[in-house]
Formats: sequence, C-alpha cells, structure tokens
Amino acid sequence: MKKLVLFFISQVILLPVFSQQSVKGKITDDKNVPVAGASVQVKNTLRGTFSEIDGGFIIVASSNDTLVFSMLGMATQKIPVSDRTTINVKMLEESKELNEVVVIGYGTVKKSDLTGSVASIKSVDLTKITSLNPEQGLQGKVAGVQVTSSSGAPGAIPSILIRGVGTFNNSAPIFVVDGIILDNISFLNSQDIESMNILKDASATAIYGSRGANGVILVTTKTGQKGQGKATFNYSGEYSRQILQKKIDLLSGRDYATVVNEITPTYNNVDLVPNTNWQSLVFHPASIQSHQLSASGATDLTQYYVSLGYFKQDGIVDKSNYERVTFKLNNTYFLTKNIKVSNFLSITPYKQQNAPNVTYSAYRARPDLVPYNQDGGFAEVLNVGNPLADLAYSNDYNKGVRGVGNIFAEATILKSFKVKTSYGIDAGYNQATSFTPAYFVSPQQQNLLNTLNKGNSHSIAWLWENTLSFSKQSGLHFLDVVAGYTMQKTSSENFSVTGKNIIRTSPDFWYLNQSYIYDPTNGVNTLNSISNGVDANLNFSMVSYLFRANYTYNSKYILTATFRRDGSSKFSSTNRYGNFPSFAAGWVVSREHFMEKFPLISNLKVRGSWGMTGNDKIGYLSQYSITQNLVTVLGNPASANSAITYSVSGNPNLKWESTTQTDAGLEIGLIKNKLTGEFDYYNRLTKDILIALSTPDYLGNGQGAQESFNAASVKNTGFEGKLTWKDKIGQVGYSVSILGSSIRNRVLKVGGSSGIDSILYGGFLSSGIPVTQSRVGLPIGAFYGYKTNGVFQSTDELNANPHLSTAVPGDLRLVDVNNDGKIDGNDRTYLGSPIPKYTLGFNIGADYKGFDLSIDIQGVYGNKIFNAKEIVRPDPYNWEKHVLGAWTGPGTSNSEPRATYGGNNYLPSDKFVQDGSFTRLRNVTLGFTLPSSITNKIAISQLRFYVKGSNIYTISRFTGYTPEIGGSNVISNNIDFGTYPVSSVYSFGINLTF
Amino acid sequence: MKTRIILFFSVIILLTGCTDFLKTDPQGQLIEASFPVSSSDALLATTAVYAAVRNWYYNSGGYPILDIMSDDAYKGSNKNDQLATVGAYDNFTFNTTGDGLDRWWATLYQGIKWANVVIEKVPDISMDTTLRNRYLGEARFMRGLFYFDLVRAWGGVPKVTASIPPLHLGRANSKEIYSLIVSDLQYAETHLTKKSELISSDKGRATAGAAEALLAKVYLFQKDFVNAEKYALKVIQSNEYSLEPWFIDANGVNGNNGVESIFEVGALGVEDYNGGGAQYANTQGVRGSPNRGWGFNRPSIDLRKSFEPGDTRLKGTIIDLGDTIDGVFIKGDPDPANDPVITLNQNGDTINIQCYNRKVWTPGNDTPTQWAHHRRLIRYADVLLMAAEALNENGKQTDALTYLNQVRKRARGGNILILPDVTITDKNLLRDKILLERRHELALEGERFWDLVRTGKAATVLGPLGFVPGKHELLPIHQSEIDISQGSLTQNPDY
Repeated sequence: MKKLVLFFISQVILLPVFSQQSVKGKITDDKNVPVAGASVQVKNTLRGTFSEIDGGFIIVASSNDTLVFSMLGMATQKIPVSDRTTINVKMLEESKELNEVVVIGYGTVKKSDLTGSVASIKSVDLTKITSLNPEQGLQGKVAGVQVTSSSGAPGAIPSILIRGVGTFNNSAPIFVVDGIILDNISFLNSQDIESMNILKDASATAIYGSRGANGVILVTTKTGQKGQGKATFNYSGEYSRQILQKKIDLLSGRDYATVVNEITPTYNNVDLVPNTNWQSLVFHPASIQSHQLSASGATDLTQYYVSLGYFKQDGIVDKSNYERVTFKLNNTYFLTKNIKVSNFLSITPYKQQNAPNVTYSAYRARPDLVPYNQDGGFAEVLNVGNPLADLAYSNDYNKGVRGVGNIFAEATILKSFKVKTSYGIDAGYNQATSFTPAYFVSPQQQNLLNTLNKGNSHSIAWLWENTLSFSKQSGLHFLDVVAGYTMQKTSSENFSVTGKNIIRTSPDFWYLNQSYIYDPTNGVNTLNSISNGVDANLNFSMVSYLFRANYTYNSKYILTATFRRDGSSKFSSTNRYGNFPSFAAGWVVSREHFMEKFPLISNLKVRGSWGMTGNDKIGYLSQYSITQNLVTVLGNPASANSAITYSVSGNPNLKWESTTQTDAGLEIGLIKNKLTGEFDYYNRLTKDILIALSTPDYLGNGQGAQESFNAASVKNTGFEGKLTWKDKIGQVGYSVSILGSSIRNRVLKVGGSSGIDSILYGGFLSSGIPVTQSRVGLPIGAFYGYKTNGVFQSTDELNANPHLSTAVPGDLRLVDVNNDGKIDGNDRTYLGSPIPKYTLGFNIGADYKGFDLSIDIQGVYGNKIFNAKEIVRPDPYNWEKHVLGAWTGPGTSNSEPRATYGGNNYLPSDKFVQDGSFTRLRNVTLGFTLPSSITNKIAISQLRFYVKGSNIYTISRFTGYTPEIGGSNVISNNIDFGTYPVSSVYSFGINLTF
Repeated sequence: MKTRIILFFSVIILLTGCTDFLKTDPQGQLIEASFPVSSSDALLATTAVYAAVRNWYYNSGGYPILDIMSDDAYKGSNKNDQLATVGAYDNFTFNTTGDGLDRWWATLYQGIKWANVVIEKVPDISMDTTLRNRYLGEARFMRGLFYFDLVRAWGGVPKVTASIPPLHLGRANSKEIYSLIVSDLQYAETHLTKKSELISSDKGRATAGAAEALLAKVYLFQKDFVNAEKYALKVIQSNEYSLEPWFIDANGVNGNNGVESIFEVGALGVEDYNGGGAQYANTQGVRGSPNRGWGFNRPSIDLRKSFEPGDTRLKGTIIDLGDTIDGVFIKGDPDPANDPVITLNQNGDTINIQCYNRKVWTPGNDTPTQWAHHRRLIRYADVLLMAAEALNENGKQTDALTYLNQVRKRARGGNILILPDVTITDKNLLRDKILLERRHELALEGERFWDLVRTGKAATVLGPLGFVPGKHELLPIHQSEIDISQGSLTQNPDY
C-alpha cells in the first residue's frame, strides 16, 4: 500500500514533465505464442496500431498515457505507460462464456459476436436423462424449447417445439448433425454428442431457408482434441429400472358392480364380485441398460474419435422393447498444412418390439371380469378384449439399420479463404415383421388363421454442400462471409405383403414362402394385401444457394445478413423457388468506455433480428391431381373389373409457407459473470401455411375431401429468459439457473375465400367426432365442445332450460351458448388450448470435493388435456373413480351426472377437458468422483459413480398416467387416447476414463 | 498443390451443373397428366364411373330416405336405431344438416367427376372411333343419371362439366340441368350398343335401351309426355326387353342382368365396397335371425293394405316374420322391447308390423351374401308403366291400357281370378290407376316419393306425414356445403 501511495505521489510530481516517447513491446498469449493483429491504442486518443505477425508493436505515447490492448476473444488490458519504453503484454483469453465458440449454420462464431438467439447444451446435460433419444436432454434446459414424450414405449420419438406451434403441418425443427440435415436423431447415442445448439430466431435459422421455420438443432458429435496427444479411453455404463409413475384411479370390481346396479340392478351381492386390477397385470417395472466405450485422440496429422455403444430398453408393458448398437467414427486427416479431410460416420442397427395398445384396453376392461378361465386359458373380456391375450398373441417387430455420415474436405487458400465441400448420406432400412397365431378367446377376440405380415422400407438421402468462406480481421474490422451451393435428394420405397396360415408357427418359419402358406379350404396359396410404393414425404430434391456476412467493428458492433434461395421439387415449376433473407444487429454495450462506471456489469449485449424462413414439410404429391383404383362389378356372371379414375384434385399453385420472425434479445453478465442472463422477445408470423381444407363436394372429390392450399396464418409471440448464478462457497461450487418462456399462439386466418372451409377439425375420436377446431382467434388445435353448467336435478328444471331432446334428470346441463333456446352443434365453443402458456425450468448443480449433485425441475402451465380415453363409450367399460359421486336423485350431485354407459353425458364437453399444467422433478443426479490421488495409481484418469432418478415426481391435476401427452400432429395435440405411459427411471452408472 | 485444389473443386462445380434435378415425377402413381392416354386407359376410366353407383352413399346417402319419406315405408330397424337422423325423413323434420344429404350429393358429384374424366380426356386419345364413342356414350349416360338424381332432389344445382372444376360455383337453374341431361342421354342413345350386343362380361354397362328408358323418365318428370311416349315406346319396340315371368325375379338374383333389367348395379357377395360388395341391400336386410342386415325401410301398413286381393306383388315386396324364403326361416329381431312383432295404438289399431323389404333379398343366411344384391335402377315394368302414363296423357288410352295390363298380368302369377285387366278409359281415373299400379309394382324401389311430387299428389298423400307443399318437393342443400361456398350457393325455399 505504501508503494502505491508513493507511486501516485511520484506521478503527481512528475506531472508537468511528460514527454512523448516511443513505446514498443511484444504481445503474446499465455503459452508465449505471439499474438498478431491485436489492437494497441492510446486511451482517450485516436492513436492506435496493431501488433505484427511476431506480436511486436510500436507506438508513440507519453508517460502518463494508458495503453489499451484489445483483441477478439482476449481480455482487454489497460496498462499505464509510466516511464517505460518497453511493455510486453501477456493477453489472456476472455472469460469462458464470452469466448465460447458457438456452432451456427455453415460455420462458427464467438458467442460475443452472435446476433441471433442460440442456446447451447453440452454433453453433460444430454446424458443426464436415460433415453434412447438425445433430444430428451433438452427438456427444461432451453428457454423456448418444449420437448414432449408422446409415448413411453421403447423407441418412441419425442416431439419438439421451438417457440410455439408455427404451422398446421409438421412443426418439428430440423436437426443438422455435423452438417447433415435430418428429421430425427434417434440413431445417435447421447454419449457421442459434444453439444447441441438450438437456433431459435430468424437470424440464426434463415441460413437454412425453407427448412428453418420451426427452428434448427445443430448437433456436433465428439472428435479428438488437437493437442490431446495420447489416446483417451472412456467407458460409460448404466443400469436403470423404470417404474410406472402412478396408476389411474379406476373402479374396483365391487365399486363397478355398485355403479352398474345404479343403472340396472344386475349384481345381487356386490361383495362377491371379482376384482381384477388390469393395470397391475399389464404394467411392471422394467430395466434399461446402456454401455459405451470410446477412444479418442489426436496426432499432428489426425484427430480421431471412435465409439461403440449398446442400449437396451425393456418396456413397462410386456413385448415392448428396443435394442440398439451405435457405431461412431469421426476422423480428420490433415493432408497438408492447408487441406484437411474428415469423416463423420454413424451406423446404427436396431431391433424393436411393439406391444399392442393394452394401455387403453386395461383402462377400459371391466374389473368384475377375471383374466383367466378355470382351465387357465384367457377369459373373455366383453367389449374390450382380454388385454393379456392381446399381449400374448402379439409378435410385432421392427428391425433395421440406419447409417448417417459425411465426408468433408476443406482447403485454405490465400490465407483468408476456405473452400469446403461435404457429401453426406442418410440411409435407412427397416423391416417390419408381425405374426399373429390362430387363436380363440371370444367371438370378438379371435384370429381364424395365423397371419404373417412383412413390410420392408428403405430410404436414402444425400446432401452435397459446397461453400466458400472468407474471414479476415483488419484493424478493428472483422468480416466473415460464407457463400454456398447445395443439392440434396431423398428417395424411398416400401413393400409389404401378408400371408395367412403359415405351415409352422415358430419364428423360424416367419417367412413368406408361398408353398408354406397353406390354405386347405380353398386349395390355393395366396399372398395378399400387397402394397408397394414410395413414401410421399421422402421423395424430393432440392437446390439451394446460401450467403451470410457477419461484420464486427471493434468487437462491439455486429451486423449479420443472411440469404438463402431454395428450389424444391415439391412445388410446381412456377412456384419452385423461395427466397429467405434475414438481418440482425448486435451491440456489446459492456465494451463501451462509459460502461467502466458500472463495474458490476461484466457483460451486456443487446441484439435484434428480423428474417424469413420457410416450411416445405408436405408430401410431394400435393401439387398433382392423382388417380385412384376402383372396382366395378360387371358381367353375367358378375365379376370384379379393375378401374382407374381421378381422386382428389391437386393444387399446382402451392408454394412455400413462410415465417417472418422478429427477435429482440438482451444478454447480461454481472459480478464477473457470476450471474448471467439472456432474455428474448419473439414474434413469429407464419403465412401461407400449407393446409388441407375441405372443399365443396360439388368438385366431385368425395364427401368432405380436402385439398391443400396456402391458406392459413398463425402468430406466436412470447418472452423467454434464462438466469444463471454460478459461484463457490469455500470448497462448494454451485450453480442455480432458472429459465422460462411464454407462448401466445393465435390462428389469424384459415381458408378465407369461397370454396375453402374456414375451420380445420382435428382430434377425431373413434366415433368420428372431432374435439378440436382450429379457427381464427383461437390457438391451433383448440379444444371445442359443449360447456356444462351442473346437472339437471329434476324434470321441472329440465323443462325450464334448453336441453337435448333425449336429456333426462341427472344429465349434464349443456350451456345454450348462442342463446337460441335449443342445444345443438352451434352451442359448441372454445374449451381451452393444448399449448402451454408458460414453460419453466429450474436447475441446480453443486459440487464438493469429489461429489456432484444436480437437480432439475421442469413445468408447463396453462394448457389443457382432453381425456379422450374416457369419452368413447358405446358399451359398458370401467369408469374413473369420480363416477362414485354420480347423481342419483335431486340434490345428490351438481357436478357428476348420473352414471350411464354412454349417451348425452359423453358428448365432447368441458367435463373431459382437464388442466394439463404440471411441475415435475425431472432429474436428480448424485455423483462421486474418486480422488485422482487414488485413481492415478491405477492409471485411471477419472472414475465417477452416480445414481440418478428421472421423472421422479409430477405435481399435476390430470387424472391420467402422465400429463405429457403429445399428439400425432398439431391439430390433434394433448388428447389422451390411452397412450403408453412415460415411466420414472432410476439408474446407477459408472464413468471411467483412462 | 494449388493446381490440384483448383482441379478438385472445378470437378465439383462441373458436377453440380446437371439439369432437371428438381423434377420429381410421381412414383408408382398415375396423375392427371399421365392418365388416361391410351385405349386401355379409356376403358379403365369408363369402367370406373360405374363404381359410383355401387357406393352405399349413391343410394340417397346410404339409407333409403326416398321410400321412408313416401307413404310406402317407415324408418325401420328397431325403434331407436338412427331415430334422430333417419327418423327425421319419416316425419319431414329433417333440416339443413340432415343425415346423408351431404353423402348423397357428394357421391353424385363424384360420379359426375368420374364421367367428366372420360368425356374430357378420351376424345384426345388416338383409338378406335366406334369404341371411343361407346365409352363417351357410357360416361354421358352415367352423367345424365347422376344429374337426374341431383335435379330431382335439389332442383338447380352447380353444373360441373370439367374433371377439375373451379372451386367457386353457383347454382344453375333446373332447366339448364335438364337440358344437359337430355343432351347426354341423347348422345348415349346414339352411340351405345343394344343390350343384346353386349358380350356377357360387359353386361351391366349402359346401353342404348337404358338411355332411352332414362330419357322417357326424364321427359316424364318435365311433363313432356310426347317425348316420354316416344322414348318409352322405343324401348318397348326394340324387343330387347320383356318382363320376368315371376315378379320376385324382377329384383331377385334369378333376374340379374335378365330380360327385365334395363340398368342395374352389379355386386359381389363381399362385405366390402372395395371387394365388389354393395351395401344397399344390407341396409334393408332382415335383422336378427337370419342376420342379413339393419332392417331399414320397413314396408308401411298403408302399403300393405293398398294391394288388391291376391296380388303376388305383396309377398314380392314384404317379408313377414315366419316366412321361409329360399329355405331360410325368417325369425326376425327377437327384441320385444325395441322391436315388437306388432305394435298397436291406444285404439287397438295396428300401427307397425316387424317386416322387411323382400325386393332386396338374396338367397343366403348371412351378411356377406346380402351384399351381392344387384339393385335395379331401371327395369322394363317401369318403362311399360311410363309408356302407359305418357300415352294416357297424350289421349291414347287404348294403347295405355295394353301396357298397363301387361304389368298386371305378370302380377297375377297365373291366377286368372285376381287383378282383372283395367278397362278405364277416363284420362283422370286412368292416371290415378296407373299411379297406383306404379306404387304396387315399384314399391320400395325409390320411385314413389318422386312420383307423388311430380304428379302433384304429395301434399295430399304425404301431408299427414308432415310434408309441407312448396318446401319438401326439394331437399335442403347440406349446411356444410353452403358454409364452404360462403354464400355462393343459396338454400332451397323454406329451409
């Protein structure tokens, strides 16, 4: 301190005698490598220079000047000249968050130079959840991203929505794995993934043009690290148990009989009624195991990463399982100083067994019926079929292999230019085998002749991308430009055929050998149900031109412009091309001088973007008027004649649907970035949505036939934000982050002109009744039905109010919404949205010595679920427990109608719309890493054990298994038809590096 | 090295320059541009038009609502089955969302589209001219047939003459539709072969005789009795047709493509449209035991009572419980709560008897065999009665009686003591007599309601059932069609 005082005093004394002098020096990094191009400036003057190739600089300054040394990615240093003439500077990398390189489309960018909204997830987070699907790791981790398991069945692929539902079509984002554009990544092992980057706003996604409208998830797989030297081996193994999270409250045999007696006296003594808990018979805990072994490393000439993984999941329902082997091979070869060649390759063979939908039948099966007869055979379960027999006689398999990979070459020319070419392939082959033996349980549940169905499908897609990029720092200016040309083609073919009465029933004979298909009655052996064709969604080609320029001035001001032009074979030649531009700007406020007054703020950046993207996820046939095959019976004697004529007319005027997105973002770091935050507002407007709508029947396309049009608009707006606090208390390191997003989804237009319907119906029950209507002013897939207002208590009350002609006391009072004095279809109204208003994530991490702990909580709020499994009731089925409170006479209940097997009280109404909000303890992981003092002795660099639980507990008012429902498409979303439940998973694992 | 890099990337750039990369032709799928283009395509497209008449919906939307609206039949099935939907046609309470109206309308227009494919595309195919004209004739016959249903049911409807019409169309007036029908049928008459000239595997295709018979009916509905007489007599004088000796064969399996059949719908005993089955008869088949169908279109007490004593057509029209047909005992639906054998009112009058439509019977005791029924769309007896009606209107009572009595003769079944020849020559009385004869001959064949409407008797006969004159002569266009058209289609009066 004394020294400091003396120093200041000396400065004051010397003040008047400053002289200009040449100051020189050398700038190096922490490894003593010279840093070229660093800015050296005299503070508060315009004088400045840059360091040379050898890091050297020379500048004129006076002794009271302060020199400012700055460089992209390096921490800025301010050094007073004092009386020195030589100042050597060691520049250190800037804090990690800011210096982080973010993978964006067709390149990388420093996090600080990013103008778009991009979220990154590291491998650590991706492997937290035990799942076949790496994208499960994103749930509750990224603001604005909603991951929903549509089914708990092994092999089921979750649905992902980024910033709401932007279209009536496939609203899933695309994946770009090491440069290859894909629709799903179920072939990837989470352990092989280095990071996932989620591109959310148009500035980030527009470079993917016609395919970027629903967001882009960039997946980077692991490679050997340069400078790593010796090979590193890693083994990860995990064993898990899956447990049904909860059972649905259904009636016991006794309760069932009691309710039935209310309707029609049937059971003399309800205490003697059997009680079968079908849920207990169908679900049981099951295991998952996974193992992965990898080797990685690098030499001067190569970088390599090879791994072999194995994953096997048994379902909590018998006869459902998934088994997968993952091969991963990523290599880079440095051919010369300027040329490198890489390959990224995944080969994934898999085998899957699918169970029949016994979730639904176990839900409906009457509890007063027993599963087995006295003789041990399956007993008849009226109306539903015996779920256990369904399982026993089901043999439904898929097996196949998927290979995804690319070869990549990059040459650096004239220092600043890079030419890249990449050729990638995604090839898949799948074979489905389904065998049902001949059996008889009941007249309703039988199969006369054993049946073998085989289906093959294969698809191949290739993508060839060529880019030229230019990157140069010149003084304070940094310019990064990439331009490219890409081509891709996808094709597929499928074939399926059925044979009956195969000569032997064992799996060894599950082949369609014509001579073994034995038909004694007709004396002919036939294969039937033959079908062969292409998948309409997997048959197209595209050509694209792309361009992006990123300009940064003084690491403070950033401008980005991108442009992509796509041509697709899915559209007729006149509408084939679409143009997708975007513009964005960013300002790193914290690098301004005036921010020095706010030392608390270590990082502050504002950014904004505008841009357009597209969606082409329609079948390639929509532009054509296709034909159909018919049968006409003619002749004496009558016989079938083949016939062909036109089917539904196509629409040759179809064009791209386009999404315009505006984004405003703020990034902030406080207290040396202990607290970091990122906030965004977005506004996504999708226009010209490709939508199939009903057309007039006079067109002759058949009743209710739909044609595709560019005839809808949808707007999604919302905020999203994430706050993270990271610090250390003594030896305890910890981090807490909270993230959330809001979504407001509104349909702005459907149809709109004469001859096109203005409502899109969805969520069709098996009775053919739709429970959703997407129409102007409502969210996509809005639940639509009757509002109820209590229960009719008496005939007087019934007569005094509008009611259905068949209504009786004890029935639900349906609200006469349009006040016309009668209850009819026009009284159906909006009953809620399947889309959550808010999603939240709350994550805590802590470590102490060798221990690490993480807790993830996740929630969605403000959405509804339609309990469709309860509503379709043409026959007596089991009831959910609330029926015990049913109306039995005046005053007994004004909420639960009289018990019935079907009828008025089962019309789609708000009785079946439930709150879909939930808060879930998503994951708790506790790990322990052995001290290196111990492991080093046995040549192990790291050894970690952990236990974890996923989906441990869910707080929800929904009566079903899990409030995570998903749906087949966005207009039939969050409707519980009795889906395979998502289970809780408890695991023990080991991670070994040597 | 630089040269090698330049070479490498030059090769790549050259490779990307291929043309037509974005043209993906439909795989394994014919489209408008590629079909029909040959003589065999023309045959496939022509044959396809007939598939429309086997569609369940072609039959007034599935349920036989035309008979149910008439005094010949009740809804049928058991008491509650489709009470709100099909029952509405029994008492004229149906409205613009009436069940089946959309299905019927859509299927007629679907048939029209399929006919238009032939009419529009086949002329451009280079092929044998005679054959081409025959195909065009078949398609135009079928288009006329479909429009005739449309104009009778709804009046002036959108006039669609292109295979891919514009989205936005208004209603034409009924005169325009009738003139399209007449020109189609006249073309068909000129270019189609006689029935006798069809090879056996082509039986069931439209013929010149079918076109003439349909023209007679089309003119009758327009009260153009001169032309109605002309075309009915053309059919009669062609000597291509005669009455089946036994009435039950006129609609039964023995008469399939027989002497009396002028145009019929072929079908196979398969419980599946795509397999060749027709659900028309299944909809009306005996309920319970044997289980042949759903039992809609129950013959009314009034119809039963209207037959003259001994008329063989009574048992040829109604199946009663206890009957044995083709060795099958008719037990019916044994559910006294929902469908008693006989229902009495408070006065003790019989108001309902469980019975079924005999005309759709096919031999057998299960459901699939019922799907093999060939529905007759026009048969010779109808033509004879149309001739009689037109001749009477044209003042030729003697000739009219000849044809009327031919029909009565067959109905006698050889018993000369019953159904004496009609000798009335008073035009008005004879008109009524012919209308009554049509009722007995053609009951439950979808003719009665329209006969009452076109002769102006609907108000009197059907008024007690709920028929409102000035409204119920036409059906409402289904609300969904009106909604989608967003105002370009107007509704029929009073709906």
